[in-house]
Amino acid sequence: MMRRLLAPFVALALGLCAVPALARDLTIVAGGGALQDHMRRTLFATFPGGPVVDTAYDYNVGPIRAMVAAGNVTWDVVMVEAPDLVRGCEDGIFERIDWSVVDRGKFMPGGATTCGAGAIGWGVSVFYDEARHPNGPSNFVEFFDTARFPGRRSMRRGARMTLEIALMGDGVAPADVYKVLATPQGQQRAFAALDRLRPHVTFWTGGQQPIELVNSGEVAYAVGFVGRVANGIRAGARYNLRWSTLLYAYDSWAVVRGSPNAAQGMRLIEHITSPAPLLELTRLWPINPVTQAVAENPDVRARNPLMMSNHTAGGLEIDTEFWLEHGPDLEQRFASWLNR
Amino acid sequence: MRRTNWLAALLIAPLLLLILGSFLVPVGLTLFRAVADREVAVALPDTRAVLAGWDGQGLPPEVAFAAVARELAAVLEARRIGDVAQRMNFERTGLRTLLLRTARAGDRLRAPYAESLVALDARWGQRDAWLMLQRAGGPFTSLYLLRAMDFTRGPDGAVSQVAIEERLFQTLFLRTLWVSLLVTAICVLLAYPVAYTIARLRAPWSSVALTLVLIPFWSSVLVRTTAWFVLLQREGPVNGALVGLGLLDAPAQILGTRLAVVLALVHVLLPFAILPMHSVMTRLDATYLRAAASLGANGVQRFLRVWLPLSLPGVAAGGAMVFLLAVGMYTAPALVGGDRDQMVTWFIANFMTRDVNWGMAAALSAYLLAMSGAVIALTRILTGGTVQAGARA
Repeated sequence: MMRRLLAPFVALALGLCAVPALARDLTIVAGGGALQDHMRRTLFATFPGGPVVDTAYDYNVGPIRAMVAAGNVTWDVVMVEAPDLVRGCEDGIFERIDWSVVDRGKFMPGGATTCGAGAIGWGVSVFYDEARHPNGPSNFVEFFDTARFPGRRSMRRGARMTLEIALMGDGVAPADVYKVLATPQGQQRAFAALDRLRPHVTFWTGGQQPIELVNSGEVAYAVGFVGRVANGIRAGARYNLRWSTLLYAYDSWAVVRGSPNAAQGMRLIEHITSPAPLLELTRLWPINPVTQAVAENPDVRARNPLMMSNHTAGGLEIDTEFWLEHGPDLEQRFASWLNR
Repeated sequence: MRRTNWLAALLIAPLLLLILGSFLVPVGLTLFRAVADREVAVALPDTRAVLAGWDGQGLPPEVAFAAVARELAAVLEARRIGDVAQRMNFERTGLRTLLLRTARAGDRLRAPYAESLVALDARWGQRDAWLMLQRAGGPFTSLYLLRAMDFTRGPDGAVSQVAIEERLFQTLFLRTLWVSLLVTAICVLLAYPVAYTIARLRAPWSSVALTLVLIPFWSSVLVRTTAWFVLLQREGPVNGALVGLGLLDAPAQILGTRLAVVLALVHVLLPFAILPMHSVMTRLDATYLRAAASLGANGVQRFLRVWLPLSLPGVAAGGAMVFLLAVGMYTAPALVGGDRDQMVTWFIANFMTRDVNWGMAAALSAYLLAMSGAVIALTRILTGGTVQAGARA
């Protein structure tokens, strides 16, 4: 028994003693899944600067911080969410992008920041199975109207996105959401709206869950990631994806500070954000590039009607600064609400 | 004699160093993070020095305004502002914006800073922001330990409970304790007859039975929990069987309930209760039982007065093992549990990897460690030190 308990510690100690490999291949890290398989073929393998190793992570930046603090950086280029990019940049977790290597002009507005180069967009919106529910809610007020649209709902378990949706469900205009949510009264209003909906809500934690919940009929209407819903539609599912309820954000590519391959990493970023390989990727997957020439390419848009870039006009862009400031507070309040 | 002691010390030195280096030191450093308060001292040393001499009355002197303006701009330029911004924003939401706005204003600020800072953001003209900066000067803080118990401290230093809609952790600790104790009790009750039966089986069958216990023990916790996820689904085999047998009219919602959490935890942890009990029971000297029988004890008496007391060390060891592991589990509750089944460990992991608030993660860990330690100590007192005997067995 004792030996069994000690085994992990022995392994850990051996791991600590091991000398980090000095020369390693350029390593790029993204969210994994089918998208990364496609990116490997179209973006990473075509990099002229040498072999690229890719690995997946769950968008938790804790390990990256530990890596930088310990001075043992094993990842070079990482795809990060906007709040993590901003905080990581302020903290010096990411290198400043070398804009003499990466062409700054090719990104959409806001896509080029101190430490990040725009990668791809993602979003959530209301969707449901048209076969089961021919007429579903077309906006958040209707999503919150359980009298007119009976049935269970599913939303993400967490404050970010859910509180914005709650306010819009209570009639706040998208343009005013963050202004209202910054006030105590607005926060009260959002939680009161959630209180009313709670008997009808199943919260999800993983991106695939809302799809499964809608497929099995356990919930009638769900808020889910548009990429996964779009892929479901492409595979033949009869989802109605309500683009009018879109909340979206953009992920970025960043270089981990202290990376021995930082210079190579910049060249890799320049390559994977340039139009030619991205156009190849859009043939395989309806991504939402931040590279303007690809995002606005009429062929790409026509080929992928379910591409988010076609629908951001009426959507709400998730406010990075708002969540950096109010996130810790509101997430705790949401957890407290959830556990009451 | 002394020489052999020295030799013995040398022989166990590698093990000692290993435990020290891979266990005691990391745990100690982690717990230290729960009280350490270095962000302001590292990022704004001059401001901290000036504020240390401030009596907290009215507003601090002009030098404090000048220092904070200069140092904030410098840490923003050096890209080290994130830590101090997060630290102060955790103290009070909104301070992040104040610090960043000031840092970004940088060169545009002109002396007298007491005027230009207040013109930039009125909060610099209020005592609260300065008091909080002063108190965050370190080197130690009670902020994380207080927050991890749903308490907070106002700018004046008065400790109070956080607003009711933000209270969370007391509930989580009580829930973690209750679920862990429940799982431990069920495991012990289920494991005892199993261990007893295996210990009494004859040669080939006892190994077979033991192997049956060990096979799930060797498979991954995640795999076993995921299996429960599949089994308990609304359209899964358990519901199918219950409806098929006529016990239920319609499939029940088992996933997302406390029942599912307890079920999965008991299944995952049961071998940890069986194995120590089994190892104690197989070493029990059967002659004691024969002696009791020859003195006229019947079966029940032999069990209650000989077997049970002698096997208690195994029960205590198994129970302690299950309890400690149950306290630390967070994949199972997160996977099969519902909104009200989250455990403290889930939040520790979240603070560690997602929020990157290691002070909070450390404070929650410290309480969890203290809670588990208290329960184990209590068990030892109640069972008269048999846990130690169990560890020896």
